[in-house]
Amino acid sequence: MCLPGCSGRHYWFSGASEEAQSIETLAWILFAGAGVIWLIVMALAFFAMRSSGRSNTEKSARRMILWGGFAFPTVVLAALLGTGLLTLKSIVAERSDLTLEVEGEQWWWRVGYPGGVVTANEVRLPRGRTAEILLTADDVIHSFWAPALGGKIDMIPGRENRLTLTPTTVGNWGGLCAEYCGGAHAQMRFNVIVMEPDAFDAWLEDEAAPAQPESGPGLEAFLGEGCGACHTIRGTEAQGLVGPDLTHFGARTSLGAGILALDRDTLRHWITHTDTLKPGVKMPAYPDIPTEELEDMIDYLLSLT
Amino acid sequence: MSWTDDLAPPAPYDKARDEAQRSRLLDVWREPTGWRRFSAVNNSIVGRWYLLTSFAFFVFAGVLALLMRSQLAVPENDLLSMDFYNQAFTMHGTVMMFLFAVPIFEAVAIMVLPEILGARDLPFPRLSAFGYWCFLIGGVFVCGSIFFDAAPDGGWFMYPPLSSDPKQTGIGTDIWLLGLSFIEVASIAAAIELIIGVLKCRPPGMRLNLMPLYCWYVLVVGGMILFAFPPLIAGDLLLEMERAFGWVFFDVDKGGDPLLWQHLFWIFGHPEVYIIFLPSIALIATILPTFARHPMVGHSLVVLSAVGIAFLSFGLWVHHMFTTGLPNISLSFFSAASEAVAIPTGVQIFCFLATLMLGRFVPSIPMLFASGALAIFVFGGLTGVMVALVPFDWQAHDSYFIVAHLHYTLIGGMLFPLLAGIYYWYPFATSKMLSDRLGKWAFWLMFGGFNTAFLPMHWTGILGMPRRVWTYSLEDGWGLLNMVSTAGAFIMAAGFAVLAWDVLRPKGKQPLAARNPWNAGTMEWSGEVPDMPWGIRSIPVISTRYPLWQQDGLLGQVDRGEWFLPDAKEGKRELMVTDILDARPMFVQRVPGPTYKTLLCALLLGGVFIFATYHWWVPTALSGIGFVAALIWWLWTGTGLIPEKDSKDCSRGLHLPLYASGSRAVGWWAMFIMMIGDMTAFFGLVFAYMFFWTVHESFPPVGTVPPDALYLLLGLALCLGAWALVNTACVWNRNGRREAARTLLLIAPIVGLTGVAAMGWACLASDLNPTRHAYDATCWVLILWLAGHIAAGALMLPYCAARSWAGHLTPFHDADLRNVTLYWHFMAVTALITYLLLGIFPLVSGGTA
Amino acid sequence: MKYPRLISEGSVWIVATIPSIWAGHFLLCYWVAAVWCAKFSGTVPASLTTPRWIIAALTALSLGAIAFLAYRALHSYGGTFSVENEINQNTSHDRKRFLGHVSLLLAALSAIAICFTAAPALVFARCW
Repeated sequence: MCLPGCSGRHYWFSGASEEAQSIETLAWILFAGAGVIWLIVMALAFFAMRSSGRSNTEKSARRMILWGGFAFPTVVLAALLGTGLLTLKSIVAERSDLTLEVEGEQWWWRVGYPGGVVTANEVRLPRGRTAEILLTADDVIHSFWAPALGGKIDMIPGRENRLTLTPTTVGNWGGLCAEYCGGAHAQMRFNVIVMEPDAFDAWLEDEAAPAQPESGPGLEAFLGEGCGACHTIRGTEAQGLVGPDLTHFGARTSLGAGILALDRDTLRHWITHTDTLKPGVKMPAYPDIPTEELEDMIDYLLSLT
Repeated sequence: MSWTDDLAPPAPYDKARDEAQRSRLLDVWREPTGWRRFSAVNNSIVGRWYLLTSFAFFVFAGVLALLMRSQLAVPENDLLSMDFYNQAFTMHGTVMMFLFAVPIFEAVAIMVLPEILGARDLPFPRLSAFGYWCFLIGGVFVCGSIFFDAAPDGGWFMYPPLSSDPKQTGIGTDIWLLGLSFIEVASIAAAIELIIGVLKCRPPGMRLNLMPLYCWYVLVVGGMILFAFPPLIAGDLLLEMERAFGWVFFDVDKGGDPLLWQHLFWIFGHPEVYIIFLPSIALIATILPTFARHPMVGHSLVVLSAVGIAFLSFGLWVHHMFTTGLPNISLSFFSAASEAVAIPTGVQIFCFLATLMLGRFVPSIPMLFASGALAIFVFGGLTGVMVALVPFDWQAHDSYFIVAHLHYTLIGGMLFPLLAGIYYWYPFATSKMLSDRLGKWAFWLMFGGFNTAFLPMHWTGILGMPRRVWTYSLEDGWGLLNMVSTAGAFIMAAGFAVLAWDVLRPKGKQPLAARNPWNAGTMEWSGEVPDMPWGIRSIPVISTRYPLWQQDGLLGQVDRGEWFLPDAKEGKRELMVTDILDARPMFVQRVPGPTYKTLLCALLLGGVFIFATYHWWVPTALSGIGFVAALIWWLWTGTGLIPEKDSKDCSRGLHLPLYASGSRAVGWWAMFIMMIGDMTAFFGLVFAYMFFWTVHESFPPVGTVPPDALYLLLGLALCLGAWALVNTACVWNRNGRREAARTLLLIAPIVGLTGVAAMGWACLASDLNPTRHAYDATCWVLILWLAGHIAAGALMLPYCAARSWAGHLTPFHDADLRNVTLYWHFMAVTALITYLLLGIFPLVSGGTA
Repeated sequence: MKYPRLISEGSVWIVATIPSIWAGHFLLCYWVAAVWCAKFSGTVPASLTTPRWIIAALTALSLGAIAFLAYRALHSYGGTFSVENEINQNTSHDRKRFLGHVSLLLAALSAIAICFTAAPALVFARCW
């Protein structure tokens, strides 16, 4: 049902999780019902204007109000309400196989897995297991939404919200912030990568390991420019908590919170002209880094897989 | 047996008498010209200003929408900057909601309601003028900010912490909070006026079961404004206190909660949607019978649905908060109410269809717009049923699906009916017709453009496009649909341009319209052509729902001056006030004429809000003092005036008093209704307290001492004492003990102010610091609220004493004092609730969970 | 001239009271569940057993009150449920009948809305 030119990464009806499938079923019931009711009302209106004053008894018109305007909607709405409530109950899982913590920041995502693994802007989930995602925020309100996998839940300072997802289809799906969170709200994206359970377990194990390599000219440049004040690269002196954890940066699929492809040129541009790519971003631009140092740093960051 | 049986037959027609009466009426109701036009207060002029100003704001917000659509036409566009885009969508929503949709209801109602009621004006013409000036000043202030790159950019919903932190959002948020609070004052003023207009200024004989549907809707919507706007004013107060003074309400680190704002905002925000929608449906309910040539079928069912929607619409607010992580059972209550509200809406639409079936349908431009409205609105209503279901909303919320849905409901439910109303009542307002040919062009361009713009947006949303984004990438695959939407938006704008041209083009050579060009049945078409400033020549007895259809010869009788108040012998503007149930004549109300005082008051009050935005406290205080002084001047010279005689002959042998006080008087009702709204705002603060109690383990927090019990009790005793003194003064004055009453009126303010000071001291003594914790801030804001109100009440008492000295207030003519006493009843309740919350509640709840 | 009393003779109160019962029921249900889930639910999913019983009782009570008022509207104010005729005669009697009739219609709508409100309590047994 995806229109031409559409990648479908954010398509509600991708059916990539059990929850999304439940909502999709509900949606098609609603769409079909709404279409039929709209046509009936329009036909009645057309008929009413055409047949005005002809062969209509007052009694039948008044009965139409009671049956069409009162009784019919009551029954239909009661049925819909019941369906909606049961669907809601069914898509909120009581138990989960895996718990993630995702924190919304202006304008990126901090993602935590069991065992202290922290990454950013990429949520990896195993297919067929129910993941419980705990959602928090510290600065302003954000909202976690991966349309292909289901509904959104807000991330509100002072609260911990809970979303459960059970992915069914392996793939790289899109995610975005759905609640206006100031400035670059439009550029607060992430990727949801659904993996086979074995691959996921292996990935999580790799992710838990410290950075490889743990030294080199690139790292020195990184530390020399003070990047470590904001970013963490586990296994090195860089232990900043303000910005995204970069321990396995090179293995990510995107840059700048899901908005850019991760390649050499883009990364160079990002470091030197950050706010032209993302206005208002907290990370300062480094336009004056010596070229050699910059290239070393890029080599190093891309090697962090 | 009815009072109308006692009326004398009309005097035979006498041309000389008719002309003399007409010239006297004209003298009294003549509108000022030239520069003095700005002092006008009559409903037809103020209504016209209101209408034009609202449409000017509509055009402003529409241009912002076109800019946004241009930005989104292609992926990664750089036409608008991120900052400007964020300001643009905030302003688009804000202006459309606060400066167009609600004021336009008031504009139309101010213009049309008195005429439908066969009244010459609304009961408080100067209040309408004051409301208009507040609206204009506030609106220009809020809109103007965008030209200085200082417009609010936190979204029209202004969610904290984004909006509560001055580091995140700049002066724009303060402009939004204070500017809109100022405008809300105007909305509430208009609501009070319209409610009383419907309840007390109906033509004699118009019983509740004969009251036109338009009036029912105005009554219902006025009531909704009264309960919906005040919570937002309370919210605005809390948010501005946090921004300006660091009082804690939304900062989670100090016990605040951002969700409190969402509750207060949407308790306003959802009824708001129906406040916008119902008046427009009221237009259809008025227009449709005219073109069906048949009275509304199921009149009572339409009343049922208006009342039913009004109530149910207050149970929907959390459906804007379905994704905030509240317990599923809580969300589901609101889902249930959101489904239930569709039932009365459906009833309403089927009543319209049944009327069309039974009548003889006459096609016309107003009906073209009404039919378009039906097609669009039913569609929007059906998507509304979808998003009322929590699981579906979890996908749809904050996506373009919602953008499509809300525009279908608002444009179908509000704009198209309004345009039908513009075409319908244009001849009523200007005595000229709009062009049929241009009307068709305007309709098809708007209808086609609208659907081209917004129908694809449903799918854009399903493809995952979130709201409020200034950019997207090519890979997202949203480009084509957005391009189509943008094209549609411009087509729609072209349609609007055609309409604007038709409305504004010079029509000097065009012949005057017929007197009742659509052959309607309601009283507003009884006006003469060309229009006379007095509205209606004489005020008839109404005995049917569609008087111009069902009461033979009525127009002729009205024109010949055979009914009530055909003359203005005393040179005063006069209205007839009737009783709420059966509209039996009660007394003649004299209303004041043109004045600049209302404009002056609005300017000074505007100064208070605008200077406060920039934290210029000295000019703020000066404006405030000036406002109070100007207000007293206005009231002293224009209200509670003692007539030169006790009663007057209204013709046909009907003699009515010229003065009323207590619950007979319209002023008493205005006070009563205003205080209902005021109490609602106060309950917004009470809600804040209870909300904090719910979310905190312990509220008051562990280690905080609640306000000192003894001083609190003393404060309450003094406040109640002041109330008792005011009551006694009122009784004594009525019994002729005027001197003693005056003394009490001078003692009571001191007692009351001491009382609230004692309550404040109770908080100080317990070391409550509003910047430390939400508990402290909530206690203080309750005290602040009470103090402000007691202070206002304290000003009223010496005013009454002075009126008594000056001879404007006597044992019989005691309306001022009766109204002030009513105010103090509400003060007693406010003080008592404040005491219970601060003094007793911590003991009962134990502060522990 | 004698004016009918707004409250005792007018039956205006009954028009506002009936939907107010819906509003009261709605707010109490919401409040009971919200306070229960915020105050008394621990880290384990809190059982909603108690609030569900309270909501059931509230629902029964509200429906009873509405039935009583509908009875009043029917008998004291001469309301009819039938919508076959317009109540548009120019008499106090018809004004009264009209308000009674609107009250009855509102009673039906409010009763349906109350049942809708109670539905979530049938479905959900836990706060989350």
